[in-house]
Amino acid sequence: MQIDMRNIRKTFFGAPVLKGVDFCVHSGEIHALLGENGAGKSTLMNILYGLYKPDDGTITIDGEEVSIEDPRDALSQGIGMVHQHFQLVNTLTVSENITLGLRETGYPFSKRKLIDQRIKELSETFGLDVDPAKLIKGLSVGERQRIEIMKLLYRSAKIFILDEPTAVLSPPEVESFFNVLRELRNAGNGVVIITHKIGEVMQISDRVTVLRDGEGVLQSRLEDTNEHELSKAMIGRTLTQREHEIRSIDVTSPRLVLQDVTIHDGKLSLLQNLSISIAPGEIMGIAGVDGNGQQELAEAIIGIRKLSSGTITFNGNKVDGRSIIDRMNNGMGYIPADRHNDAILLPMNLNQNLLLKKHLDPNYLNHHFLKRKKAESTTKNLIKEFFIKTPSENTAIRYLSGGNQQKFVLARELDSDLQLLIAFQPTRGLDLGATDFIQSQLLDLANRGVSILLISTDLQEIISLSDRIAVLYKGENMGILENDDQLDIALVGAMMGGKRLENQ
Amino acid sequence: MKINRNIIHYIWPVASVLMTAILLLILIGVDLGSAFSGFFRGMFGNIYQISEVLVKTTPLLLAGLGCSIGFQCGFINLGAEGQLYMGALASSVVAIFLGHLPHLLLIPLMMVCGFLAGGLWALIPGVMKAKFGLSEVIMSLMFNYIAIQFIALAIRTWLKDPEYPFPMSQPFTESAQLPRLVPRTRLHIGFIIAIVLAALVYIFLWKTARGFQIRACGCNPRASFCVGVNVNLNIILSSLLSGGLAGFAGFVEVSGVQHKLMDGISSNYGYLAVMVSLLGSNHPLGVAIAALLLGALDIGGLSMQRSAGVPTSLTTVILGMIVIVFLLRHHFGKKEKEISHE
Amino acid sequence: MNDTALLVTNLLFASVRMAAPLTFAGIGESVSQTSGVLNIGVEGMMLGGAFTCFLVTTYTNSFLLGILAGMLVGLLFGTLHALICVTAKQDQTISGLAINFFVLGLTSFFFLVLFGQASTLPDIKTLPVVPLPLLSKIPILGPAFFSHDLLTYVLYIVIILTTIFLKKTDYGIQLIAVGENPMAADTSGIPVKRLRYFASMFNGLMCGLAGSYMMIVQFGFYIENITAGRGYIALAAVTLGRRNPVAIFFVSLLIGLTEGVQFTLQSLGVPIPSQVFSMMPYLVAVIVLLFSIGRSNDPSALGVPYDRQERS
Repeated sequence: MQIDMRNIRKTFFGAPVLKGVDFCVHSGEIHALLGENGAGKSTLMNILYGLYKPDDGTITIDGEEVSIEDPRDALSQGIGMVHQHFQLVNTLTVSENITLGLRETGYPFSKRKLIDQRIKELSETFGLDVDPAKLIKGLSVGERQRIEIMKLLYRSAKIFILDEPTAVLSPPEVESFFNVLRELRNAGNGVVIITHKIGEVMQISDRVTVLRDGEGVLQSRLEDTNEHELSKAMIGRTLTQREHEIRSIDVTSPRLVLQDVTIHDGKLSLLQNLSISIAPGEIMGIAGVDGNGQQELAEAIIGIRKLSSGTITFNGNKVDGRSIIDRMNNGMGYIPADRHNDAILLPMNLNQNLLLKKHLDPNYLNHHFLKRKKAESTTKNLIKEFFIKTPSENTAIRYLSGGNQQKFVLARELDSDLQLLIAFQPTRGLDLGATDFIQSQLLDLANRGVSILLISTDLQEIISLSDRIAVLYKGENMGILENDDQLDIALVGAMMGGKRLENQ
Repeated sequence: MKINRNIIHYIWPVASVLMTAILLLILIGVDLGSAFSGFFRGMFGNIYQISEVLVKTTPLLLAGLGCSIGFQCGFINLGAEGQLYMGALASSVVAIFLGHLPHLLLIPLMMVCGFLAGGLWALIPGVMKAKFGLSEVIMSLMFNYIAIQFIALAIRTWLKDPEYPFPMSQPFTESAQLPRLVPRTRLHIGFIIAIVLAALVYIFLWKTARGFQIRACGCNPRASFCVGVNVNLNIILSSLLSGGLAGFAGFVEVSGVQHKLMDGISSNYGYLAVMVSLLGSNHPLGVAIAALLLGALDIGGLSMQRSAGVPTSLTTVILGMIVIVFLLRHHFGKKEKEISHE
Repeated sequence: MNDTALLVTNLLFASVRMAAPLTFAGIGESVSQTSGVLNIGVEGMMLGGAFTCFLVTTYTNSFLLGILAGMLVGLLFGTLHALICVTAKQDQTISGLAINFFVLGLTSFFFLVLFGQASTLPDIKTLPVVPLPLLSKIPILGPAFFSHDLLTYVLYIVIILTTIFLKKTDYGIQLIAVGENPMAADTSGIPVKRLRYFASMFNGLMCGLAGSYMMIVQFGFYIENITAGRGYIALAAVTLGRRNPVAIFFVSLLIGLTEGVQFTLQSLGVPIPSQVFSMMPYLVAVIVLLFSIGRSNDPSALGVPYDRQERS
């Protein structure tokens, strides 16, 4: 089976996202679709999967032109896709999710037993361990990913599109996941893996297509190219890794101390006896696969979540039990991972989004009345200082790109007497320019004496920025490592998968 | 082509509402000419008719402002009707039992009690939403019916005027009545108060820190919470203000127009207020314009009944139709916007 | 049969009568809410169904035509709600409220035009009671639950069928998926909008049936705004019953019991003003809502329109 996409164009809000892209994939290969965030990779694949309609261009399957109106069409052609955000129904069982929308024997009274039997068989053939009777609610991300792939296998998909599949896996899990992909390819299927990591491309793919700014810039067999060429194609220049700079930090008088912090949700333990401390000017990196307690950790420190037990001390004062505002007034800042939900008011403009933080600040108040002029001038300054691309400070923030939204969130936090910044996935989903800018800002900040808790699932980011690294696994601290010349990256990877550091 | 599309976009909603009205009028066989002339003379025929429109506008504006404060905070208050009744009840109780007090003392007392009664009535669903996550929509609707029955009970028992056979309270003393603005009309000073309150609501919501907080909570409660805003407190406060303004509308109705408490003091003002708020985009200026429009429509409908025998429920039909068309207007006749996710 | 037993039977019998329309509407709303469409327009759809059923039965003398007409009107407004909320993606609460208003206006308008001149309250015959063999002989419960008219038995069948539909069939699973995670349903090839239309239309049908029941079983006459908030009470029952048809029936029975108590006390000559009783169902509904605190399991996408292009 061979799929050809020719001259695909797509425009969102008048901005071209795909400018005439060609792409082809066939059975028996693993094809990497490489590009920066925002290059149009997901959009291109969502078009192939029938979620978006292209403005222009053709799709042919084995030489025959097809029109894919919705995912149902795609699935019936043998095309399946696993999205970055898993598309599973929490309140249904694994088995019900796998057959969702299918007409199995006995429909509409499908024979569950037969279905579960077949799931078991597939499960053994491809080494994908799933329990059909379990509810999705409560399953780990790794299990969810297996179910997503099982869902496509069950539908006899021939082409598997996987959007950033390794983002949710620890390094050891990535290895076994790649084996599953090879298994799939050897069984005669085509696999498209969307990624922005060149290392992954080199490791797993047979062929690679590179997208940049909505244009296909390179298509090649893997053996005909190299990392250097790929990075040049992807970002238009050679990728320079940010070199980690070893700084000497005085850790004798820590600014933030977490002692045996535990958070329970019912029987579930989200954080377990977590103890870490951060010194002034130190960047403490928290590594770990998504969903291992990072959210709870960040929210516990800033005060969004209550502790079940343990204490948090900030500048020698116990802060747990104090309000969020109180902690912020004392110098804490927070950049949440989910900025759309947790940080900004999408329909409101930049001034109002600034006021969301500042409306209780006496500098911005005149007897309960807001000082609009002052807010406007601050916003204008921040826009200039942080190179935020926006038509004006009166533009609704939803019309800004993700990178510029994130710059604004960071700028807003920095515009105060900051002593501790909790940066939770500060560069997720941003293009390289914005990522670089934000990382430099964080380093600057640390050099000025601000303590930074950098929580990121991007191990590369953690290693290039942090002074010390702690690894979270299932809400527990697997150990703290000095980030110096002796740092064993393989060990960090193993700890992300649950290996505990000795002597800690 | 583009211009055509725009014209259609603006014309079809008006046309479809108008066609429905005409269709219903033809169906019941009235003379269209006299119906329409009755309708428009009803609204602007003379000073008295114009004053009547403003009399109707007043409670709609007040309760509409109330709903808009709730909506701005994400508190979907559909209970303005009941809050209005409770406000009317509280002011009436003050008027009847303290009727001997001087005007300048009694009226403010009635105002405060009306406001508080409405506010407290809305506070219950407000607290339920804030503290227990209970849907305020159904709760506030239930409270409408309970309030209406409660007033009905009151004017048949302990508040009943023994001198009349009908279920109503004693008439208010002079001192409990809002002064008239224009002689020989029913237009009272409550209209001016309502306009002033609209301005105050605007200043409160758009110029003060608290108002900003309320709007931020309505816009994204989670983000507001994450920067340290007490979202529950804002919901509770907005429910109090929201119900308070509806209760104030009840005060204005009994003290300015009816001068006694009886059944049906609100002709669905509380429900109309929800639509006033919606049509006015929850902004005081928009709410004022929408209240005026709906008030005019109501008076026009009444006049059409007198001149051509058309049932006033036609107004209700038209109103429902306007809102439905208003909801559908974006979808039909305008190209859909596409939103990128990247 | 002694007096107490008779009293209990009569109370339960009256409760079933009061509960039946609430349950019909509640079942419709359950299916709709399961798919993610909240519709407070049940009030208006019931009213529209009641008026149309009354009208058609009056002029044709046919119960069947009356019921069908009532259901048809419910269906129309259910479809309108879907048009506003699913296709045009507008606010579901406002849409429901607008429908209630629109229907209230229309029914009042036509009632006045058609019956305004009549000196007596127009009425229609009600369905005859058909006791079920054997079942109606069960002591106390038999006469209370199984000595009703055919439409009440239809309710029992509807309860059973929708329970099977929601819990045992693939359609039920699909509906849950659409209400819980429409994007997941869409990417699995389920037509999200079509299912939401279906659920909304089914809700309309059931509300029309509820209105018809009020006419040809409960009341036998029509007055303006005869539903008087029963649709909203049904919503409260759905909330506590957590969209489970059987549970909704029992919650409705509980609310209906207040009406039964009213008849009983009135027949005993207890001097309590009627307003107290008129208030009771709403008070009970509020209490019912209080009991749902902390137990809510609303679908995640309830009230949220689905837009394929708009993702976070």
